[in-house]
Amino acid sequence: MASRPEITIPPPIVALASWVVPGAGYLLIRQWARGLTIGITILTLFIGGLLVGGVRVVDAPVLAGIETARDVVTQKPWFIGQILAGPISIASAYIAHNANIPLSHGRANEIGTLYTAIAGMLNLLAIIDSAYRAGHMEPKR
Amino acid sequence: MTVLTSIIAQTFEPRLFQTPMLWDQWYLLLLPLCIGIAVVYKSIKCNAMSRVPREALQLFVTIIVVMVVAAVALGALVRFLERS
Repeated sequence: MASRPEITIPPPIVALASWVVPGAGYLLIRQWARGLTIGITILTLFIGGLLVGGVRVVDAPVLAGIETARDVVTQKPWFIGQILAGPISIASAYIAHNANIPLSHGRANEIGTLYTAIAGMLNLLAIIDSAYRAGHMEPKR
Repeated sequence: MTVLTSIIAQTFEPRLFQTPMLWDQWYLLLLPLCIGIAVVYKSIKCNAMSRVPREALQLFVTIIVVMVVAAVALGALVRFLERS
């Protein structure tokens, strides 16, 4: 009886899945423990940052009046790290922009921003690693 | 949608830091951050997940020790510069 062909998932799909849901790229390549550990940790750090500093620590740049991509980077540099955590950061930025809630200041704002940005940067490591592992998986015999 | 946005926003209002205890001990919030960094980094680095808890603990302790040493060194430098 012929065995079923092994389905390999292209690394770009794995990378995209890792960005959409942290850890999901590892789940696609069947590395369950790694995917769950990394996903839960990154989401816990991100939500922890929101709990410490409030949802307004995720502050997207205002695109009106921006001429170059460099302006986006220099206006809100922390958002680059935060957006790497996935659509959860875009949803947080939308809520922060539209909801009427107070902005945190001082340490609370700093630590909340640090938590969310580091969660995103750790997710970048996970995106790269999961895509690399997907491209170097040995086919099962 | 507006109601949902409002509920989520109120959930994440910055009220956790209103407690004076937490405000004074803000640096303790770096501990969970270091745990998260150590766990994710070692989960990526180690091929066998069974090695992650031990290696993540070692990395966590290393980060804390280095931060404390750096803080003491910088504090000593500031005091030295204040006196001179």
